[in-house]
Amino acid sequence: MSATAMSLRNGWRGLAFIAIPVTAIAIFLFYPAALSIIGTLVRPKDGGGYTFSLQSYVFFFTDSYSLTNLGRTLWTTVVTLILLVAVNLPIALYMRFTKGTLATVIQALALFPMFVPGIIICYALIRYMGPNGWLQSLLNLVGFHHYASPHLTPWGPVIGLIWDGMPLTLLILISGLSNISDASIEAARDVGAGRLRILVSIITPEITHSLLIVSALNFLGIFGQALMPFMLGPTNPEMMGPFMLRTFASVRDPLQASTQATITFLICSLAGVAYVRSLARRPQEDRK
Amino acid sequence: MIFLSTRRFDFFGYGILLFLIFFIVLPVLTVFLWAFAEQWFYPAVLPTKWGFRFWSLVLARPDVWSALITSVELSLTVTALSAVICLPAAYAFARMEFPGKSMFMMSFLMANAFPRFALIISIAVLFLSLDLVGTFTGVVIIQLLNTLLLMIWLPTAAFRAVSREMEEAARDVGASAWQVFRYVTLPQAFPTIAAALLMTFVWTFYETEGAWLVGAPRIRTMPLLMMQMINNQLVVQYGAVLSVMLWVPSLAAILMARRIIGGDAFAKGLGG
Repeated sequence: MSATAMSLRNGWRGLAFIAIPVTAIAIFLFYPAALSIIGTLVRPKDGGGYTFSLQSYVFFFTDSYSLTNLGRTLWTTVVTLILLVAVNLPIALYMRFTKGTLATVIQALALFPMFVPGIIICYALIRYMGPNGWLQSLLNLVGFHHYASPHLTPWGPVIGLIWDGMPLTLLILISGLSNISDASIEAARDVGAGRLRILVSIITPEITHSLLIVSALNFLGIFGQALMPFMLGPTNPEMMGPFMLRTFASVRDPLQASTQATITFLICSLAGVAYVRSLARRPQEDRK
Repeated sequence: MIFLSTRRFDFFGYGILLFLIFFIVLPVLTVFLWAFAEQWFYPAVLPTKWGFRFWSLVLARPDVWSALITSVELSLTVTALSAVICLPAAYAFARMEFPGKSMFMMSFLMANAFPRFALIISIAVLFLSLDLVGTFTGVVIIQLLNTLLLMIWLPTAAFRAVSREMEEAARDVGASAWQVFRYVTLPQAFPTIAAALLMTFVWTFYETEGAWLVGAPRIRTMPLLMMQMINNQLVVQYGAVLSVMLWVPSLAAILMARRIIGGDAFAKGLGG
């Protein structure tokens, strides 16, 4: 068998091996997404045939309740993202530049949420930070009596989403920080650079890529969440996740639910494109 | 410690520790306290009466058992299907050359670039017209999609880590392609694949949103039952007992899996 025939045969076999999962992704992910987007634009006419219509979008963008929900979702996303980075960057820096028992304990604790399923996180947070929860009891004990529970306020989902997003954010940031060599920092110290200077000039440029991935993934993660906002957040206004759920399951309006999903797709496509582009720019050996 | 602190006492580190205790440890501890509390009135700092009474009450409920059976059936089906369709693909990605390889790999990663719940909604709208809403099959499909990325990414890395020299050496002494795979490649890749299977099972067991939208109310899984018990809040302990009972074994399983895989693989897998 010649080399080209061999590699051709191998090529077909490779394609056959990946055919089923690729087809599954195409049929059950890309096709429904495309279908629901098209379904919101092209509607069946009364007398047969199809007609182009933007009516469901006009409804969404003139309905103050829908718009408030979208605004609430954006607010939650931005606030959660900022807090996630603000909380995790110091922890990641600490873990990158410190060795010892304390660093190990911190790592174990900070990655722990990864092992807790979403529904149990919700239960734990409700019992802990909810009204008359354990946190309030503990605060009472030390003489603090003005605790206002974030449960069922806009801050409820923010706290839940930080819990949920923490391990992944931390892992990606640590992975980014591991590219920085100890030598380059020591060299900078030797020539008299202070901590702030090292952070701005050496560390920040190295982790820009990680920060981008973290922001994009968390943006998508927060926008695409239904459980946390449903369990921990207020019902009016509500985030897009529970809003879509209610429109689909309780109001039984699949068209409006598709419209909400399409608008969510469009807003998230910004983060999605950023994510895919940064993946494509990764070093070759990772992708192959 | 070369960058952050040169002080003798590590204020920064203990600050982080304190934050993590209040933010992560105490909420989880709350669940355990409630699971073993027979009576706990606010503002008592600890349960006023300890005991196992609610454990027997939970175990006596038929809806708990039927949800448990549904969840185990679903998770087993999804994990088995996922393995059957993903492992060959993982092997192909790791060891074969074919046209469009990196494009196909990207298409799996691109599934990450969609907001999850909006995708679930659009799948549910499609399932509505296919009469798959409220069926076992519908839930299997939606949960299966959830597992594809993990079940391709981790085994691909595992197959790639197997040394090519060893495979070639086996070929040189006359082993067939199948024998090489069976006696050289598979044993080396197996621990990671087993870990991926375990994680797929546990994640599927706790998958909530897909089952909720496509399965409810006819298919009731364990997380959906827990959701109902949490929202009704008549008996606080039910949710706590279920959490502890189900989560502790799965935690042990996942910790075992993670020892094999290592955290870096996740971050790398998602592009970090």
